[in-house]
Amino acid sequence: MDILDGFYGKHYKKYIALPAVLFVVFAFIAFIYPGIPQGIDLTGGTEIIVHSQTQINVSEVQSILEEEFQLTELTVIQTASGFRIKYSNDPKSVEAEELIIQAENSLDNESESIEYSRQAMLVLNKETQETYANPKLALLAAQTALADYKEVFSQTLLDMLSEKLGLGENVSFQRREVSPTLGSTFYQSGIMVALWSTILVILVVFAFFRKIVPSMAIILAAILDILAAMAGMALFNIPLSLASIPALMMLIGYSVDTDIMLTHRLTKRSTVPAFQRATESMKTGLTMTGTTLAALTAMLLISYFYQIDIIYQIAAVLVFGLIGDLFATWFMNAPILLWYTEKKGGKL
Amino acid sequence: MNPLIKNWRISVLGAALIIAIAIILVNGLVFGIDFEGGTTMQIELQEEVSSDEISRIASIINQRIDPSGLKDASVSPVGNKFIIVDLAETDSSELEKIESRIRKQGKFEATINGETTFTGDEIVAVLRGSSGYGVFQAGKQVQWILPFVLNEQAARRFMEDTFHQCAAVSFNASGTPVYDCESTYFFLDKPEALIVIGEDQYYSDVDLFYVGNRQKNIPSGIEIDELIENSQLEVINYDATTNFDDYNLSTLLVETNTVIVSPDVPKTAIIALQEKGFTVETLENESGVPWVWNALSVQQIISLTEEVTNEDVVDISQAELITTLTIRGTRPDVFEAREDLEELTILLESGSLPTPVKSISRETISPSLGESFKSYVVWMGIISLIIVVIVILARYRMPKLALPIVLTGLSEVIITMGVLALLQRPLDLAAFAGLIAAVGTGVDSQIVIADEIIRGDKEDVHESLITRAKNALFIIMAAALTTIGVMFPLLVFSFGLGKLVGFAWTVIIGALIGILITRPAFAKIVQKII
Repeated sequence: MDILDGFYGKHYKKYIALPAVLFVVFAFIAFIYPGIPQGIDLTGGTEIIVHSQTQINVSEVQSILEEEFQLTELTVIQTASGFRIKYSNDPKSVEAEELIIQAENSLDNESESIEYSRQAMLVLNKETQETYANPKLALLAAQTALADYKEVFSQTLLDMLSEKLGLGENVSFQRREVSPTLGSTFYQSGIMVALWSTILVILVVFAFFRKIVPSMAIILAAILDILAAMAGMALFNIPLSLASIPALMMLIGYSVDTDIMLTHRLTKRSTVPAFQRATESMKTGLTMTGTTLAALTAMLLISYFYQIDIIYQIAAVLVFGLIGDLFATWFMNAPILLWYTEKKGGKL
Repeated sequence: MNPLIKNWRISVLGAALIIAIAIILVNGLVFGIDFEGGTTMQIELQEEVSSDEISRIASIINQRIDPSGLKDASVSPVGNKFIIVDLAETDSSELEKIESRIRKQGKFEATINGETTFTGDEIVAVLRGSSGYGVFQAGKQVQWILPFVLNEQAARRFMEDTFHQCAAVSFNASGTPVYDCESTYFFLDKPEALIVIGEDQYYSDVDLFYVGNRQKNIPSGIEIDELIENSQLEVINYDATTNFDDYNLSTLLVETNTVIVSPDVPKTAIIALQEKGFTVETLENESGVPWVWNALSVQQIISLTEEVTNEDVVDISQAELITTLTIRGTRPDVFEAREDLEELTILLESGSLPTPVKSISRETISPSLGESFKSYVVWMGIISLIIVVIVILARYRMPKLALPIVLTGLSEVIITMGVLALLQRPLDLAAFAGLIAAVGTGVDSQIVIADEIIRGDKEDVHESLITRAKNALFIIMAAALTTIGVMFPLLVFSFGLGKLVGFAWTVIIGALIGILITRPAFAKIVQKII
């Protein structure tokens, strides 16, 4: 660790360039391209876990599903004991669902609403010889048609896969479906939680440090950590879900550990020069983050190989975030605090 | 070491450890369905309801899933339309049964002479514990009897409706009169629909009612028209001459657009009904059961007895008010009888759902998968701990420091588990992840403490060992409070989001134990051993 001596010197302000660039890069990866996938927890959708001993080729499954069913947001992942399919929904039911929503919204305008319901049934290939006089009845018929369609759809999909891949007898399916409405309920609670967490963190940090610049630096570092984790999620296709959201929150808890330590050591009165205090803090901080990262990496690997989805998502988010925290704390937070100390006339 | 043990911080840690271990041994850890195997059901209601209503629905569902209160099922509403159920069951036939029980709306109605005399909502209690309740051998058959108590208003209505509803038809050898009585018709989840029964079906039903069906608990000699009258539903007897325009169907359409038709109703009639705006459902025949019995969802038909109808008094003012009535049925064997009794009891006790269930989707984790999850996470914990020790040793090269860090981490795990056992909160995958996360922040804090005390500002003359320990405690206090602050909203806003809540609980408990118990003790230990 003695290599680190002299890490902070006269040139310390230059360090800030790195986190500044990272802010932009992480935000781009997380929100623009490739973007974070949303899990079925939040969007609604279907997940099918196929347990089969038969050797299969993931890209073959993918192409069969794409060709035969035109699924959107389809992902097929190989697992230790088979494979896992996720799709948001097939285009027909998505289209029908949209039409049904329009029919619901336009119930007052009878002929328009009936027309929407009729179109929804047309999309689902449901014969519509009946002429409806009552928009509610038309809507109900369309809703029933959609429910039937979905049920037949997933069964056909499974049958097709068993047949084309020759999965034979020893195959079992585990199916999980989250309805879009439940998904949006989860999504709303997720946003609510994130908002309140942010407010509480800001309150706690300000309550402890009572100075604008150090407190802001800590909060800025937490934001960079979360962006780093989100960029990692986008790159490794880890969805925003009921498991990854609390992990993102927890990341704030982890990242402030080192920030608070650093801030406390740099802002207290001391006879030791600030550069040296910063370097000492860095040694402590790297040990903290290092132990955590090492332990989390072990969790990440084990959960990846044994398909423990919840733990995999949580561990991955924390690992990416803590890597980001190394930059946030030592390249951003420390220089900001050193600059702050300098302004206040402290001894560097 | 002696002064160390005398220190109160360390005594507190020791005491907490002993208490935690005792609680774990006595209460036992509750494992979630991730580890034990089990099923999550996601129930969607037909429409959004108020938050009072949804908690009522949740409690009804809870009672239906777990009437005895012995299974550990958790039923939690999410938003205003969804209810999520976690239960330990993994057997698919048992799950089917539970699912169908949840799906039943549970509207129970009794009618006499075509009038509703009471509904399930007016039943105050089922006398489960009374001697009259249960299954009893009755000749070759097994009879089940379910006594229940009506509220006073319903009991009075029942008394008025049944008064003198028996007629003496003859006298037996000893001169007591033999009565012929009216029947009470019980319906369970009677459909809200128009019923259309074909001519052929009608006559075959008449024959089937004449003989009855003991297997299916259908008494012999039921008059089909009387049954239809008591159902209070619009039932059309369809034959070649029927013209639907003769019926006032447009007023009916306001209430329901569903028609249930028997299999012999011709296609032309079905199309005619669809043109009027009805959705047509064809109900198939069940062998040996009159079609109309299933179409009307008849639960039971029971003949009144002269004791109930107050034949012994002349005027209704002298009639005795009976609040305890019984429903009974027969089955060929004990198991079926017990099942019938149990199902009806559960539905009557839980009451009816104010809003019907639209769909149920479920996910099951088999106990063997859960078992392997359990062993994986144990390994994960052990490996993580070993890695932490290696990193600490590499950094400080002081084995006497690594040992307290490991021991402190372990005590945090044990005490947190003790609190979970005390609160009877389930330990599932998310909670486990929370535990690891909490212990992770714990290790961070211990490194801060160790560093502050060992190195601190070596050259700083102002700082005594005690100030350094205080510095360290300030840092870990701020860090832990932020963690708690971040996790707290998860508890408040995510009712029913089981995964989120389990994670948040363990992190918060772990962090609190850290700042209150283990970390102060660790600081003391490090001060002494350095």
